[in-house]
Amino acid sequence: MITIENLCLSYGKIKVIESLDLTILENTINGVVGLNGSGKTTLLNAIYGLKSVESGTIRWQGEKVTKKVISYLVTEPFFYSNITGNEYLSLFKNSSFDTNKWNELFHLPLNQIIDEYSTGMKKKLAVLSVLKQDKPIMILDEPFNGLDIETCRIIRSVLLRLKEKGKTIIITSHIIETLTNLCDYIHFLEGGKILFSKEKNEFEEFEKELFQNLENKSAQLIMELLG
Amino acid sequence: MLVNLLNIRFKQAYREILKIGLFRIAVLLGLAIMVFFFLFMQASQLPNASYASIAILLLIVVLHIKRGDRLFLRINFNSYKWVYFVEYTLVTFPFLIFLMIHSYWYLALSMVFALGIIVQLDFKINRISYNTRIQRWIPSQCFEWKSGARSSFILIVCVWLIGLLLSFFVGSVPISMMVLGVISLNFLENGEPYQMLVAYEKAPNKFLLLKIRQQVVLLSIVCAPLLLSFLVFHYQLWYIPLLILLVFCVLQVYATFVKYSFYEPNSSSPAAQLLLGVGIVSFMVPVLVPLVFLLTFRFYFKAKQNLNFYLNDYH
Repeated sequence: MITIENLCLSYGKIKVIESLDLTILENTINGVVGLNGSGKTTLLNAIYGLKSVESGTIRWQGEKVTKKVISYLVTEPFFYSNITGNEYLSLFKNSSFDTNKWNELFHLPLNQIIDEYSTGMKKKLAVLSVLKQDKPIMILDEPFNGLDIETCRIIRSVLLRLKEKGKTIIITSHIIETLTNLCDYIHFLEGGKILFSKEKNEFEEFEKELFQNLENKSAQLIMELLG
Repeated sequence: MLVNLLNIRFKQAYREILKIGLFRIAVLLGLAIMVFFFLFMQASQLPNASYASIAILLLIVVLHIKRGDRLFLRINFNSYKWVYFVEYTLVTFPFLIFLMIHSYWYLALSMVFALGIIVQLDFKINRISYNTRIQRWIPSQCFEWKSGARSSFILIVCVWLIGLLLSFFVGSVPISMMVLGVISLNFLENGEPYQMLVAYEKAPNKFLLLKIRQQVVLLSIVCAPLLLSFLVFHYQLWYIPLLILLVFCVLQVYATFVKYSFYEPNSSSPAAQLLLGVGIVSFMVPVLVPLVFLLTFRFYFKAKQNLNFYLNDYH
C-alpha cells in the first residue's frame, strides 16, 4: 500500500500541492485525473522523488518510498542522442527480460539510433524500459499520448496482466475513457488536493455530472467572450 | 520587436551568470579582462590586428552555424537576419572599438561588412552519425563514448590514422593524442536523462568512480596503439605521450566531476562547458595547473552533492 499523508509542495511561492492525502492499494491500477495544471505530474514526481517535498510523507508498505521500488514513465520521454534502442534498454538490469520477445509486441527497430525514431516509437521504447525495470510500483504519466490504437490496446492488456501479477500501477491520462476502462480506482485532483477517490463504477456515474459542470462553466465564459 | 528580443537575451545572460555563482564570476571576470587586454594589444599593430579579426570572425561563423534558435527566429521575425547582425555586432563591439582606437578604421569596417555576409549564410551542419560495428565494441554503460564515437566518427578515425601512419614524425602522435583527448572530453558535454543515471543503481561516489574508470580506460585503449608506435620510432622520448595521456586522464576526472556538479537531466550546462574550457587552457599554462587539481577536488564534493538528489536511494 502507498500512503501519502499531508503532502505539501510548491514551485517558488506557488503552492502546487497542499495537504494531500491519498492511499493506493497494492495490486490495483489507479488513475489520477485532473485539469491541466492541477498537479498530476508534480504528484507523480514527488512519489518518485524527483521533486523535494516541503512536508508530508510518502510510504510504501510502511517505509519511505524509494526509487528502488518504482519505475517511472514520463510524459515526454527524452533519450541520449546517438545511441540505439538496444543500447538504451541494456542500461536497465534485468537478466530475465527477453527484449526481443517483448519487442514482438512493439515492432521497434532496436538496432537503429533513437534519434531516427518517431515520437510514437520513442514512447514505445520508454514503455519497454519501464517494463524491463520490473519494479513493484509503476508510475505512468500519460502513457497513451502519441501512440496508435493497436499499441494502446497492447499496453492496456499488459497493464491488466501486470496488475494480476502483483504490480501497483498509477496512471494519468486526459482520455477519461481509457482510465475508466482500465483503472480500479480513480482519484480526481483539483487545486493540489484530491477532491475525491472513487471506484471505477462509482466514477462512471459521477463522470457525466462532473464534466457537464465543467462544460457549463466554459460555455458561459465563451458566451461572455464571443457574445 | 528587436529591442524586446535583445531584452530577452540580456535576461538569459543574467540567468546564466546567476547559475555560475559569485566566485566563478570573479574568476571569469579576471579572465575576461586578460582576454580584452590581449585583444587590445593585438589590435595595436599589423598584421596581428588582421589575424585577431579573422579569428573572431571564424568564431562568429562557428557560433552562427551552431546556434539552435534559428528556426524560432525565422518563424517569429521577418527580419531575422537583422537580428543576427545586431547580435553579432554587439558581441564583436569591444574589438571593433579597439580597432578604431588604433585607427584601423578599414579593418573595423571590413569586420562589420564580413558580419553582414555571415548572417546571409543559411545552413546548418548536421553531423552524420555512423552506426558501425566499431561502436558495438564499446560497452553499453559507456553511452557517452558510444554516442560520441558515432557523432565524431570520421574525425576520430582520421586523427587516429594520421597519428599512427605518421608516427615517425615526432609531433604526429602527441598532436593526435591531444586532439583525441579534447574530442573525448566533449563526449561529457550533454546531461543524460535521469532514468539513465538511476539505471546504474549506484550511490553517487560509486557512480562517479565507475564513470571515471570508463573514461580513463577507453581513452587509454584508443591511445595505446599511438603510444606504442611512438615508442617504436622515438623511444628516447617515451615520457612525452605518457605525460599527455596522464594529463588527459586527469582532465577526464575533472570533466566528469564538472559535468555532474552542474548536471541537469537532458541538458548541457554552459557553466560546465566554460569550466571544462578553463581546465583545458589551464594545462597549457604551467602556472595554472594547480588550479585544475584544486577545482577537481572542489567539484568532487559538488558532484556528489548534486547526484545525491537522484541517487540518494542507493546508499
